[in-house]
Amino acid sequence: MKAYRILVSGIVQGVGFRPFIYRIAVKSNVYGYVKNLGGSEVEIKIIGREENIGKFFSLLFSKIPPPAKIEKILIEEDNVQDIHEFKILPSGNVVNEPSQIPPDLSICDDCLREILDPKDRRYKYPFNSCAYCGPRYSMLYKIPYDRENTAMRDFPLCDKCKAEYEDPENERRFDAQGISCPICGPKVFLSTSDGEIIQDKDPIATAAKLIEEGYILAIKGIGGFHIAANPFDDDVVIKLRERKNRPQQPFALMALSVDVIKKYAEVSQLEEELLKSLERPIVLLRKKEDSEISKYVSPYLDREGFFLYYTGLHYLLLDNLKEKISIMTSGNKHGLPMCTDEECVKTKLKGVVDYILYHNRKIVNRVDDSVIRISSGRIMFLRRSRGYAPTWIRIKRKLRKVTVAVGAELQNVGAVAFDDKVILTQYIGDTDELNTLEELEKYIKFFLNTYHLTPEVIVADKNPAYQSTRLASKLSEEYSAELVQVQHHLAHGLSAMAEYGLNDAVGIIIDGIGYGDDGNGWGGEVINIKDHGEKYSREYHLKYVPYTGGDINSLKPDRMLALFLSTFMNWNEIQNYVKLSDTELKVLEYQTRKNRLFTSSTGRFLDSISALLDICHYRTYEGEPAIKLEAFARNGKLLDFEFPIINNEIDTTAAFKWIIENGIQDKPSIAYTIQYELGKALVRAALKLNPEKIVVSGGASVNEYILKGMIENSEGVEILTQSKVPPGDGGIALGQVYYISEEK
Amino acid sequence: MSNKDIITLLHGAGGSYMHSLIKNVFMKLNDNYGEVGLEMLDDAAVINDTVISTDSFIVRPIFFKGGDIGRLSVSGTVNDIAMMGGNPIALSLAIVMEEGFPLSDLEKIVDSIKKTAEEADVHIVTGDTKVMEKGSLDKIIINTSGIGNRPPQLDYNINTLRKNRQPSRWLVPTNLRPGDKIIVSGTIGDHEISILSSREGIGFEANVKSDVAPLNKLMLKLLEVGGIADAKDPTRGGLADLLNDWSEKSGLGIYIKEEDIPVREEVRAAVEFLGMDILELSNEGKVVLAVSPEYEKDVLEELHSDPLGKYATTIGEVRKDISGVIMETVIGGQRYVGRPIGSPVPRIC
Ligand SMILES: [Fe+3]
Ligand SMILES: [Mg+2]
Ligand SMILES: [Zn+2]
Ligand SMILES: [Zn+2]
Repeated sequence: MKAYRILVSGIVQGVGFRPFIYRIAVKSNVYGYVKNLGGSEVEIKIIGREENIGKFFSLLFSKIPPPAKIEKILIEEDNVQDIHEFKILPSGNVVNEPSQIPPDLSICDDCLREILDPKDRRYKYPFNSCAYCGPRYSMLYKIPYDRENTAMRDFPLCDKCKAEYEDPENERRFDAQGISCPICGPKVFLSTSDGEIIQDKDPIATAAKLIEEGYILAIKGIGGFHIAANPFDDDVVIKLRERKNRPQQPFALMALSVDVIKKYAEVSQLEEELLKSLERPIVLLRKKEDSEISKYVSPYLDREGFFLYYTGLHYLLLDNLKEKISIMTSGNKHGLPMCTDEECVKTKLKGVVDYILYHNRKIVNRVDDSVIRISSGRIMFLRRSRGYAPTWIRIKRKLRKVTVAVGAELQNVGAVAFDDKVILTQYIGDTDELNTLEELEKYIKFFLNTYHLTPEVIVADKNPAYQSTRLASKLSEEYSAELVQVQHHLAHGLSAMAEYGLNDAVGIIIDGIGYGDDGNGWGGEVINIKDHGEKYSREYHLKYVPYTGGDINSLKPDRMLALFLSTFMNWNEIQNYVKLSDTELKVLEYQTRKNRLFTSSTGRFLDSISALLDICHYRTYEGEPAIKLEAFARNGKLLDFEFPIINNEIDTTAAFKWIIENGIQDKPSIAYTIQYELGKALVRAALKLNPEKIVVSGGASVNEYILKGMIENSEGVEILTQSKVPPGDGGIALGQVYYISEEK
Repeated sequence: MSNKDIITLLHGAGGSYMHSLIKNVFMKLNDNYGEVGLEMLDDAAVINDTVISTDSFIVRPIFFKGGDIGRLSVSGTVNDIAMMGGNPIALSLAIVMEEGFPLSDLEKIVDSIKKTAEEADVHIVTGDTKVMEKGSLDKIIINTSGIGNRPPQLDYNINTLRKNRQPSRWLVPTNLRPGDKIIVSGTIGDHEISILSSREGIGFEANVKSDVAPLNKLMLKLLEVGGIADAKDPTRGGLADLLNDWSEKSGLGIYIKEEDIPVREEVRAAVEFLGMDILELSNEGKVVLAVSPEYEKDVLEELHSDPLGKYATTIGEVRKDISGVIMETVIGGQRYVGRPIGSPVPRIC
């Protein structure tokens, strides 16, 4: 006889881990117990014959429940006790590690099989879930993850469900908090946009029929409402764009299977894995040239966002559609957060949707869909939200003080951090909008309360115009916590360094605009970062150009183009290249004469090239001109051009001179060359600092061709990009936290 | 010396830089003298029922559409006194000129001063002139100081406030109470856009005239109506600075609606080009009033009967359930209105 004590930590709560241990222990004939240590740690004791213990371990490592994640496992020999059964013991009080809030998971294959089986009692049941699947965080009021702490508390278990819940032999339903059935669970309703309920035996099938007929529907999911519409009908898509006041921003498409998606887009193996993963992110895939999806779904882009169903409701809805695919875009009006209740749909989406398909389970926490793309073979988050948040990220350093980071401003994400754990909030949105700013505060406080923390340090950006900075000073007063401000691009660099546990690195930060230490708008920077940011020097940057007029230049690429041209061309000549009225150009000229603000932004540079090549003249969503420029370069070739590096500036104006001198014929190749060469120039600059490691971050680092230019010219120095959090402003909070961290 | 150790143009722009300068440097001078003294940082001060105020004017160009530096110098100080509830009587006038300044221009300015003083019914009673070497200043600087007395209309107005509060004897921000309506007397931004379009090189398709005007007579009529808790003119820093001032000094929140703010189409178009925020544009002939709700209708009626208040509207109200200044946007969102920083800071990443 032998005995072992095993300590497991990671995602081991709310994912059927203890019942799993119980079952494999019984199966392999070992005795002992399993118990929750109150945190994200589980203690297991096993006693048995050596071959049985071997069997137990092999089952443990091969059959682990899909959503469980073992971060750390400690196995030690223990003394043999006289125990002859295996038990699940009540949770311990010793909190070694606080329990981790489980993220939302897509419906598992077993649950799906049940709802497709006419003989199963959960046939066509849209809310089927089990220990291994279903919503978690989005319906959680507080931890521990018990039914009475979730929105499922409104649905007491019926006798049959209760029996399943209490039966330790029931692999998927024993002790599973979110389970339900058609008798005891939530119900689905179909209503008009005013909320008038339409009596219908099968509201989901009817909703599908309405989508096919060209109506626009609000669909209640698990983290919020989607808006569904027929993606094949140009008129419908245009109608949706008008109603949503979203002229160009792409809509995501939800499909029933990867095979369906493959009809419209190219899917690599890695992309297929991402699509099928339990987190079910939206993946931006390369469109097929002959795709039948309306071109208005993602206008002028070469990628389109696809994701798979992640609830029974989605599955049943899509299965009722002829082509098994629908537009599923977030249910909000442009600039406002996604709706999470019917009231919001009836008021805020009035005039946008024709019908509402909803259910009576409350959405406790808004969780938007996650968005991922692959650039030059690397996973890049554009949005880290459902499925991932609020799983914590562990860093190789340590926080001696409880830290709150408020991130940046647009597409914002905040963080709460302690020990070596950084909990990034789900995607919050644009915090210049007051309600969204309040949500940032709400979710930061939710994590503070959940993990019983009082912040000692609040970290914010240095930008005095950010509302998040305002929140930071409010929080710092409220908790008497120290307020620390970190430069935007340093935070981007640190975010990447946090992923790799680096103390020193050379950071190439390619971004829109952030507030620089000299008051100018930085955004194309090579920063030598030492001691996790305590020391840093900005060694190279894109050439400074005037930034007269401020944010309006972000919206109108032609203004920015004129400002670039104004560095080497007179204003009479400029008017031949920009699409601006005479008056606006005159105003710009006048303002430029007294300009005191400059920028080294990569985003604004790409925007201007996009305008010069007549690709995009107005920005209606974040990054639009640059994203369209990237799309344009798809079949481009490398032409003969190189950016000069003069002193500490990469001369971006050379690109305009080159294009104007050579004329604009082969636009894709020009677009390709500019982006590729920009990456190359940045890496050349970085290499002058003899770096061991180069980290790349900032919103523009998802750009396929810039990245390619870097990777292919790095002379063997590793180019580290971000794969755990977005390199855009959604990852800033991680960098802000890392700045505060200390040696372990 | 770093940028922080020297005075920059930002320190004069009426934004947060200027406020920190006042707090950190000038407040040394404060010894809490007077009924309304330096500590209030209001438009004017009050000593023994005498209202006193001073202002220097350096507008470029000195002659612009709708006015000139002379009219501005009189209106500015007259308005500051009127915003306290005072009745301006007399002004001093100090002029500093650059060597080479055309006499004809000076005469034009003085004529304008005379005309505006008559319009406001105030007297220029003392003055001073200095000339400086060419290049040591740009053309001309005018300073006016003024005094005013306490008009009986103010007593009446303050009395009307006693129904629902214990007001100060003067029009100061601490008089604000939740529920008070925020009224502006007309279109916002005319002065600043007029100045910009009068400058060399810029000519907007449509001409916007500066609103520069003395408001003291209008103010007396409004005090006769009653219910005025405070009045303030949105000059440098515009509505944004003014409302933040009110919110900070009263400890109450202010909620406004973007769609209710009166703005001329030409101003809106110009702002589009300039990348400016309408709320931060300066005005020289507008008053913003905090009015007890039961007087809202009468105050608006009185305003509409006067050419200076023709486009007056209610843009919001004072609230205690919020803090700071919040604006409901046209798309149905809400945003905090901060104090202007002095120059645009890029925010979009
Ligand atoms: Fe950024
Ligand atoms: Mg006043
Ligand atoms: Zn399941
Ligand atoms: Zn049931």
